[in-house]
Order: sequence, then C-alpha cells, then structure tokens
Amino acid sequence: MLPRMIKALPLAVLLTGLSVQAEPLNFGSPVDATKVTPISTLMATPDNYLQAPVTIEGTVVAVCQKRGCWMSIASDKRFQNLKIKVKDGDMVFPMSAKGSKAIATGMLQKHELDLEATRKMMAYQAKEQGESFDPATITEGMNYYQLVPVGVSILD
Amino acid sequence: MTKARVNWFRLNRSLHRDIGYFCIGMTLIFAISGIAVNHNDDWNPDYSVELSQLQLAPRDWLALSDRELSQILVEQVPDAAGVKATHWSHPGEFKVFLQDASNLTLDLTRHSLEVEKISKRPLLNEFNRLHLNETHKAWVIFSDLYAGMLIFLAISALFMVKGRHSPWRKRGLLVLAGIALPAGFILW
Repeated sequence: MLPRMIKALPLAVLLTGLSVQAEPLNFGSPVDATKVTPISTLMATPDNYLQAPVTIEGTVVAVCQKRGCWMSIASDKRFQNLKIKVKDGDMVFPMSAKGSKAIATGMLQKHELDLEATRKMMAYQAKEQGESFDPATITEGMNYYQLVPVGVSILD
Repeated sequence: MTKARVNWFRLNRSLHRDIGYFCIGMTLIFAISGIAVNHNDDWNPDYSVELSQLQLAPRDWLALSDRELSQILVEQVPDAAGVKATHWSHPGEFKVFLQDASNLTLDLTRHSLEVEKISKRPLLNEFNRLHLNETHKAWVIFSDLYAGMLIFLAISALFMVKGRHSPWRKRGLLVLAGIALPAGFILW
C-alpha cells in the first residue's frame, strides 16, 4: 500500500500544482476590475488622476528580479509601460508573472525629477534601447509616474 | 486526602521538550528561508534565472507580423513552450513570453536573441512563501502561535537546568551575550 502511495505522490503534487496555477494570484485588497482606465488615457493627462484610486490592466512585461517589489505593465499604446511599485515585502510579485495579464488598483504617484535625475533616467533608457544620448539635449527636469497598488490580481 | 503537588521543574522540562519537538519543522523552514531571503541583493531566493544568447541570421524583422516574428523566435529554442504574450519594449526590441515562464528577447539591430529561462527553486520557493506570509491568512495566526512557542522555549530554557550549569550562575554570561550582541548592533 505504502509503495503505491509513494509512487502516486509526484502525480498528486503535479495535479495540485496545475490546479493552483490556474487561479488568479491576488495581493492586498480586491481589485476593482469594472473600473479599468486604459494606461494610455492615464498617461495622457496623469495629473488628473492623482487624487483618487485608479485601476489599470495590461500584460506584465518586467518584474523586479531581487525582491519582486515592482512590475512593469504594458500599456494599450505601443512602447508605453507603467510601473507598479510597492514597499519591499508588502507584496512579492513572482518572476513567473511575466507575460500574464495583471489588474492593479491603487494611487498614481508623481515624482518630480530634477535635471540631473532626468538626464540619468533618459541616459538609462537610451542605453536600454541601444540609442546614443546627449545629456545637453535635456534642459529641464521631468515628472515620473508610477502606481502604488493596494490590490493586484495576476491572471493566467 | 492530600493534594498532589505540581512539580514545576519537571512540567517545564516536559513542555520545553515537546514544544521543542513540535517547533523543529517550522524552525528549519524559517531558518533556511531566512538565510535565503537575507541575501536578496546577491541572488533571487525564489527563482533561478538562466540566460543564453543566440546569434540569428540578419533579416528585415520589421517586415514580419508579430505572429510571424514570435513563431520564428520560438523555433530557435528547442522544446520551447507555447506563446503566452508578446511585447514591443521599443522599436528595437521585441519580447516573447512563453507558457513555461521563459522569455525571448530579440534585439533587432544586433539580430541577437536572448533566452531567459526562469525556474522555481524547489522547496526554497515554498519556504519563502511561508516565511513572507504570502499564503493563507490562517498562516499569520499559525506563525503568531509559533512565535509565542519560541518565546516560551526561550523563557523555559532558563529553568531547565539546576546546579552549576544553570543560567543563573556563570553560564548566565551566555544569556547576557545573546542580548548584548543584537543590542550592540542597534547602538553601533
């Protein structure tokens, strides 16, 4: 009897794993999937969305490799992403979430970058995209936006 | 009839022993995961990430549809899983996310393909999920109880041994050292 049970164990573990994976992975409070604002709409006039919680959805295209403390969500507009960022340990996003659809509810946060920080960020982005970058072309600071979620749901 | 007196010394030893046995599994999980999570800056304690590069024959990638593009890229990787999603990071970079959590990144200017294979670290991933309270809410209650049991083990240890090896004599220095060390880190 016991050897049979031992033989069946890997199958049971596999089946359990499959059933668990099919369910959405939820973090924090429930998300409000009925009130989704397209990321492109949000980013067109971000200052209009700073006062009340917003819900976004999109494909997860990057995840923090070390602490799972942020994810980049692809916008409905090409080449546009929005980062969702939590305090370390509040939510730990799995690396396997890449390519999955995610819904997040939270507050949009604005960071006013000074000239030096803006140049650093633009230089980093240019390097990522394999483009040349001349810091002198940046003459003023810019605003950077990210979502601080209270609830995230990763769907498979 | 005389009432049987409770032998507190024996009771304390018995409780310390049995609660200690009960805590072995939890202590190992928290300790192993603690070491793993402590070194977050040096490695990912939950996933192992394997990167490899493939050089592809130059071609006009932009002339292809996203579907054709992902098909060609998937064919470059033996045993590749199905496509979960695709994404244009910028005009020079196209990503394909696969069902088995692997990712392919095409650099259109260098014609190179980066293959990122992500796999869960067996056991460690589960231990970390428990340690960081990422499972059920009931786990929070259970780990609070475990913390209570650890407090009991620490305090009951002070009354386990009588005589010259008791912590109330010379060996009390070890107890003081255990308090002084973390206190030193706070003050330092």
